[in-house]
Amino acid sequence: MLAKFTKSIIAAAMFTFAFVPSSFSADTIKIAIVGPITGPVAQYGKMQMDGASMAVDQINSKGGVNGKKLEAVLLDDVCQPKQAVAVANKVVSRGISFVVGHLCSGSTQPASDIYDEEGVLMITPASTSPEITKRGFEMLFRTIGLDSQQGDVAAKFIIDEIKPKRVAIIHDKQQYGQGLAEVVKKQLNASNVKVVLFEGVTKGSNDFSALISKIKGLDVDFIYYGGYHPELGLILRQARERGLKSRFMGPEGVGNKDISAIAGEASEGLLVTLPADFTTDPANAGLVKAFDDKKLDSSGPFVMPSYAAVQIIADTIAKSKSEDPYTVAKLMKKSTYQTPIGTVAFQKNGDLKAFKFIVYNWHADGTKTPAK
Amino acid sequence: MQLLEQILNGITLGSIYALIAIGYTMVYGVIGMINFAHGEVYMVGAFVGLIVMTILSSIGASLVPVYLIAMLLIAILVSSVLGWSIERVAYRPLRGKHRLIPLISAIGMSFFLQNFMQLSQGPRPFAVKQLIPGSFTVSESFSISYMQILIPVVTLVFMVLFTYFISKTKLGVACRATEQDRRMANLLGINTDTIISVIFVIGASLAAVAGVLVSLYYGTVRDTMGFIIGIKAFTAAVLGGIGSIPGAMLGGFVLGFTESFASAYIGGDYKDIVSFVLLLLILLVLPSGLLGKAEIEKV
Repeated sequence: MLAKFTKSIIAAAMFTFAFVPSSFSADTIKIAIVGPITGPVAQYGKMQMDGASMAVDQINSKGGVNGKKLEAVLLDDVCQPKQAVAVANKVVSRGISFVVGHLCSGSTQPASDIYDEEGVLMITPASTSPEITKRGFEMLFRTIGLDSQQGDVAAKFIIDEIKPKRVAIIHDKQQYGQGLAEVVKKQLNASNVKVVLFEGVTKGSNDFSALISKIKGLDVDFIYYGGYHPELGLILRQARERGLKSRFMGPEGVGNKDISAIAGEASEGLLVTLPADFTTDPANAGLVKAFDDKKLDSSGPFVMPSYAAVQIIADTIAKSKSEDPYTVAKLMKKSTYQTPIGTVAFQKNGDLKAFKFIVYNWHADGTKTPAK
Repeated sequence: MQLLEQILNGITLGSIYALIAIGYTMVYGVIGMINFAHGEVYMVGAFVGLIVMTILSSIGASLVPVYLIAMLLIAILVSSVLGWSIERVAYRPLRGKHRLIPLISAIGMSFFLQNFMQLSQGPRPFAVKQLIPGSFTVSESFSISYMQILIPVVTLVFMVLFTYFISKTKLGVACRATEQDRRMANLLGINTDTIISVIFVIGASLAAVAGVLVSLYYGTVRDTMGFIIGIKAFTAAVLGGIGSIPGAMLGGFVLGFTESFASAYIGGDYKDIVSFVLLLLILLVLPSGLLGKAEIEKV
């Protein structure tokens, strides 16, 4: 009885899977928005989903593209490379030709292999690892800067403004964090600034006491951290509690109000390299208000790049009058766009021609001011 | 001076591991399964502590001991109920089935609890304000934060209470009897089902204590915090000899020290590798752990 029941369920499931994808396709232009909806960095995923969904809504309310509505298909890769591959295959099997994502560099890399093979156009609004666009993929773009640019900005600031004697560099052993840390290390070494410690921490752990005791023993006067805010917040707090007074600096992955919530007073004076703040741009006032009306936060670093990614896809489809991803990709490389992240044009490898990072001084109340 | 600080770091970390490891080892001792949801009980305990703290500060409480005692007690209470329910819902219906089945159930429970907290509280770290800020400064390069003293002290208190309970009280004797031979204990009139519930409640209470202490020490609480520490505490339990209560305590401290020293003198990248190599070496020489009894497989 039970076996029969199970069999009929499996049969029903197979029936559903086999027939759903082909049954509706021509009415909308589907864009897959892929990022972490759950998991430890889900809050960055929310920025991406909010930004992209807003763009889809606004474009649809103006009548869509070529008479068709856009349809956002939100998918969750939990920021795990394995899951990212599974999601990429899902996108392909559903016949979706446009992807805004993925978020984490570690997910974008394996997923993009699949998209490239299957002819899916992909714009990542958040992955900053230089590796991603080094492979010569034709249909891979990004609407965010690169770690190397960000690392260069950070290193230049350290060398010219801070002028430290002994620097410690910590990272979270992930593609993004370690990649940045290595760029900074290389630049500092080239300028003869002494890097006395280069060490990884385990993502998700919360005890950094041993590391901090060690740094104290090394007489370090500046610390760079490559990674995200949950770990750096704890490191800052534990460091200050133990009387480690050196100044810290981190990338945009730490530039989030939560770091002040975690580290409290210890986050005062933290240096952060961030993309220029798009929400203060007068041209975006209307858009910021639209986010506020929906009670969404538009200040996260990936909100506007995600919005821009959707807008660029929609604009290009409208311009080329084609939904063929190859045609769209070709045209994208020749075009210039006015987006919430400024004027956008792509290089041949899919990177932005210009993306500006600014060094900010972070404050304990979660605000920031440009650092001098 | 770094050496002294690292010793203290090891003690603090070891205390936490030991508290959680007891829960793993007791459950294993009695029903022979690994309760993979145990790390999640610790996470829930930490959240309850944070909620109590928020409520207390909103009604304007100011005495630190009031906070500490209320947070610990309520976290213990809630976690006990949770521990008891987990056993009733996920494990008891599977008693007598193949060993792997409750194991899967435990993993399921772990996912359920983690996702439940993620959905109900949000997928981000929550800050816990500093209850006892400041530190003893011995010299420029050596200072001990008050929390680093509080954690081993509170751990010691609960370990003493627990040891007294397990070795001197009637219920404790019944627990040990059930652990040694469940069927025999049953024949002698011990309600082993109740005892198993008691063991889950005790394990959960100690995990809640660890959760509250950790949230105060590190200053954050989040949905995923139970996973890594659960694995580490489980390692500590295996290291000490799974099933042995003093072994769990010892294993916790050994692991805490190893991590601190590996991080200080070999490099933080190798901290976990060193810990697990140590675990393998110990298990090669002493297959049943530091204080474990060699198990005779009953056929």
